[in-house]
Amino acid sequence: MTAATADHELAPRGGGNWGLLYRAGWIRAAWMFCAFAAFGFALVVAFRWWGGWHPLLKMTDITLVALLVTGPLGFLAGIGTFDYWAYYAIGRPTRPEDHSGHGATSWKDYFRVNTDHKVIGVQYLATTIFFFFAGGMLALLVRAELARPGMQFVDTQTFNGLFSVHASLMIFLFVIPAFAGLANFVVPLMLGAPDMAFPRLNALSFWLLPIAGIMMLSSFLVPGGAFACGWTGYVPLCSTHEPLGAIFFNQGVQWAGASSIMTALNFLVTIITMRAPGMTFWRMPLLVWANFTTSLLVVIATPFIAGSQFFSMFDHVMHTAFFDPNNGGYPLGYQHIFWFYSHPAVYIMMLPGFGIMSEVISVFSRKPIFGYRLMALSLMAIVVLGFSVWAHHMFVSGMASWLRVPMMITTLLIAIPTGIKIFSWLATMWEGKLHFNTPMLFALGFLSMFVIGGLSGVMLGAVPIDIHTSDTYFIVAHIHYVLFGGSVFTIFAGIYYWFPKITGRMYNERLGKLHFWLTFVGFNLTFFPMHILGTEGMPRRVADYAPRFANLNMFISIASFGLGASSLVFLYNMITSWRSGEIAPSNPWRGMTLEWLVTSPPPTFNFDEIPQVVGSPYGYGTPGAQHAILAPARTAAPEEAGVT
Amino acid sequence: MRRGSIASLLGIAVVAGGIATAVAVFLPWLPTPASREAGRIDFVFWFVIAICIFIFAVVVAVMVYSIVKFRAAPDDLEDGPPIHGHTGLEIGWTIVPAVLVIAIGIVSAIVLSRNDALGKNVLRINVTAQQFAWTFSYPDANGFTTGTLTVPDGRSVLLTFTSLDVIHSFWVAQWGQKQDTVPGLHPTLHITPDRIGTYAVICTELCGLGHALMRTDAIVVTPAAFASWLKKNRVAAAPPTSSSSPSVSGAAVFTNNGCGACHTLAASHSTGKIGPDLDKLKAWAAQAKQPLAAFVKESIVSPEAYIQPGFPKNVMPPTFGTSLSKPQLDALVQYLISSSKG
Repeated sequence: MTAATADHELAPRGGGNWGLLYRAGWIRAAWMFCAFAAFGFALVVAFRWWGGWHPLLKMTDITLVALLVTGPLGFLAGIGTFDYWAYYAIGRPTRPEDHSGHGATSWKDYFRVNTDHKVIGVQYLATTIFFFFAGGMLALLVRAELARPGMQFVDTQTFNGLFSVHASLMIFLFVIPAFAGLANFVVPLMLGAPDMAFPRLNALSFWLLPIAGIMMLSSFLVPGGAFACGWTGYVPLCSTHEPLGAIFFNQGVQWAGASSIMTALNFLVTIITMRAPGMTFWRMPLLVWANFTTSLLVVIATPFIAGSQFFSMFDHVMHTAFFDPNNGGYPLGYQHIFWFYSHPAVYIMMLPGFGIMSEVISVFSRKPIFGYRLMALSLMAIVVLGFSVWAHHMFVSGMASWLRVPMMITTLLIAIPTGIKIFSWLATMWEGKLHFNTPMLFALGFLSMFVIGGLSGVMLGAVPIDIHTSDTYFIVAHIHYVLFGGSVFTIFAGIYYWFPKITGRMYNERLGKLHFWLTFVGFNLTFFPMHILGTEGMPRRVADYAPRFANLNMFISIASFGLGASSLVFLYNMITSWRSGEIAPSNPWRGMTLEWLVTSPPPTFNFDEIPQVVGSPYGYGTPGAQHAILAPARTAAPEEAGVT
Repeated sequence: MRRGSIASLLGIAVVAGGIATAVAVFLPWLPTPASREAGRIDFVFWFVIAICIFIFAVVVAVMVYSIVKFRAAPDDLEDGPPIHGHTGLEIGWTIVPAVLVIAIGIVSAIVLSRNDALGKNVLRINVTAQQFAWTFSYPDANGFTTGTLTVPDGRSVLLTFTSLDVIHSFWVAQWGQKQDTVPGLHPTLHITPDRIGTYAVICTELCGLGHALMRTDAIVVTPAAFASWLKKNRVAAAPPTSSSSPSVSGAAVFTNNGCGACHTLAASHSTGKIGPDLDKLKAWAAQAKQPLAAFVKESIVSPEAYIQPGFPKNVMPPTFGTSLSKPQLDALVQYLISSSKG
C-alpha cells in the first residue's frame, strides 16, 4: 500500500522541494487560489479606475469577483481538475491514461482529484454527510431559538440566516449531491461499465461542491451576516434589501448547480452509451431509470435557477432592474423562473430515492418489482408533468388568477404516477419473503412517511387549502415529510444497502436498527405537530411567535434534539464499521443486479470480464433466472438463464 | 386471496382510518372561521382530508398486514412467487386516484370561484404594506387612513394592496384568505367577514428583520357600528384643505404609519424592538451630538444619515420623507419630543 501511494505521489513531473508547489494538490490549490483572487481584485480595481467609478475599492464587487468567482477557479486549477485539458489545449504532452487517477489506496487519495467513479462516489457521500451535519446543527439552533416565544439566543438577522443557510445546505449540498454520490458509485456498476463516460468531468463536478458549501457556510462571517431571505431568495428583498451575504447565496447556487448539470450530462451519456451487451432499456434496474429521468430534469431545469440567481445578483451588485419594479422590472418574474427550476428540483430530490426504494424493496421482499414497465413510465410521466406545475408555489403570489386552476389540475395529476409507484411497492411486498434489515426498515419508513407527505401535498395542491396554509408551518411540515421522510430516509436506505459494496465491510445491524427507530420516532414527533401549528395560524420564518403556540413549539424543539442525536448513531456506525466491521461478501443481500456480481469493494475497473446481460434485474422466484453472466464459459448456459 | 386475509386487511384499515380520523377530529386544526370564504375553505379541507384518510388507511393496512404476515425467518433463503404485475390492478390504481384527484380539483375550482365572486355593495379598502407595518385607507371616508383594519360584519370587502418596498403577505387565519403584496402590482383579496371579533393580521411572507413583528388587528363590527365609525372618521380626516390645519395629531401619525411595530414608545403603548427605543430620544440625540428637533426630523426623513450604534442599517423605510405631509411630519416630531422621557 505504501509503495503504491509513493508511486502516485512521485510519478508526476518536477522534483525537489519546488515540485510540491507545481504539482497538482492542496499546496498548489492554496497559492493558485490567492493568485487568482489577486487577479480578480486587480480586475475590479482596474475596471473601476478605467470607468472613473468611486470608491475604487468597493467591497461588494471585490468580494464577488475575487472570492466567489476567480479565487475558486484558481482553487480548481490548483487542485488539478483542469490539468489534462490545459495540457491538451496548450499543446503540451498529456499524461497518457495510466489510470493513476483510479482507485484509492489510502485516505489521502480521497483528498485529491481522482477520476475513479467509485472514489468520487465516496467523496460525494463524505462531503454531503459533512454538510448534512452542518445543516442539521443550524436547524437545531433554529429550534433552540423557537423553543420559547420572544428572542433568546440570537438576533433576527442571525435567525433568518440560520434557516436560510440550513435549507440551502440541505437542498444543494446534501439531498441533491448525496443522490448523485450514490448514483456515481452504483450506476456504472449496474450498467456493467468500467467507469462513467467522462471521468475527468466527473472529478470536476465533485470539486465544485465543497466550494459551494463553504461559500454558503462562510456567509455567516461576512459583515452584515449571512443571507437571510430564505432559500427561495425572493426579490426585491434579496436583491436590494440584503447585506453582502446575499451574493454568497447567489454564487453558491451557481457552483452547486454547475456541478449538478455536469453530473447529469455525465449520467445521461453513460446510461445511453455504456450499457453492457444485452442491457436494453427495459432490462435496466429501476435505479438506473430513476437517475436517467432525474438527469433529464437536472439538465433541462437547472439553467433556470442559474438565470434567476444571476439576474437577482446583477440587481444587487450592478443595479440592473430585472426585478426592480421602480425601473420597469417584474418581481414575480423571479418567482416564475425560480420555481420553474425549484419545482422540478423537488423531483430531482425524489426520483433517485424512488430508484433506491425499488432496489431495496424488491431485494428484501425476494420478489420481482411489481409492474416494472409502469414503474419506469411513471418516472417519465413525473418528469413531463413536473415541468407543468411550478406555479402551485405561487397561488397567493398575485400572479394571473386564471393560472391557478390549470396549475392545480396538473399538480393533482402528479399524484397519479406517484400513487402508482407506492401501490406497486406495496404489491411487491405482498406475498413476498420479507427481511427487515436496516435498508428495508428505512424503505418502509419512507413508504409510510412519504404517503403522509404526498397526501399533504394533494391538500396543498387544492388552491383554497393552499391559500390558507401557504407560508405557514403546514408548509414546513409538508416539505420535511417529503424531503426528510422521503428523500433522507431513502438516502439512509441506500447508504446502508450499498455500504458493504462501497467499503467491503458490513455495517452494525443493531446500531442500524437503533438509528432507524430513533430517526423514525424523532422525525414524527418533530414534524407532525408542525401541521397543526400551521393550520392554526403560525407563519413560518419567524423568530418570535404568539404565546399560544409556546407549548407545541417547546415539544417540537425537544423532539428535534432527539432527532439530531439519532444521527450520531449513524455516524458512529459508519465510522466504526468502515474501520473494523465484518468483512462483507460480494453479495450479502442476494441481489441480482450487476454490482453484486463483483467483489466488495469492486475491482478498480469494475468488471474483469465484460458482463453479458441476459434477463430482468428482478428475476426473484424464478429458478435459475439471472440478470447477467460474467464469464459465459464458466457459469450457466445462456438458454438456462434466458428467463425474462 | 382468502376470506381471512380480506377480513384482517379490512380490520387494520378500519383501525388505521379510525386513528387518522381521531387525529383529524380531536386535535385543534383550523381556527373557527370568521368569514364565509374560510367556511368554504374548511369544507374543501375536510373533503380532501376524508379522501386522504381513505388512501392512508388502505396503504397502512396493506403495509402492516405484509409486515406481519410475510415476515421471513432470517435463515429462510426462499424467494417469493415470481409475480411481475397484474394489468387489472395497475389500471385500477391508476383510475381510482385519478377520479379522486379530479373530484378534489372540481370542488376546489368551484370554491375558488365562489370565494372570488364579489357580493353586492362592496366595501373597498386600500391596503399599503411596508417594512414593517400595515396601513388601511378607506375611500368611503375620503381616504381616512389608519393602522388597524375595521370592517363590517356580513359585507363583501375587497382589499387592494400596494407595497412600498418588498413582498409582504396579508393573512388573517380566521378569514382563511391570503394575498402577497408585490411592489409594482396591485393584487386584490375578497373577504366577507361573518363573525364579530378582533383577529390578528399577520404578514406571512418573509420581508426583512421585522417580519415577525409585522402585525396588526382586524376588527369586525356590526354594520351599524361600522357606519358610525366611518362617519366619525370621515369628519376627522375631512377635506384635503384641512391638511394644513394644526389639528393633525402626532399620536395618530405615529400609530397610523406603523412606527410602533419597530420602536418602543410608552406614550403609544408600543413595544417594538427593531429600532431604537424612542423613550430615550434625548439620550440618543446627545450621543449623536445633534440638536434634538433636527435629529428627530432627520432620523425620520433620511434614516440612513445617522445609525445609532448597535442597530442595523437599511431597515427603517426611507420613504417617510415623501409619504408624510409637512404638517404630519411636524406633528410627529413634536409628539415624539414631548413623549420622550429622557
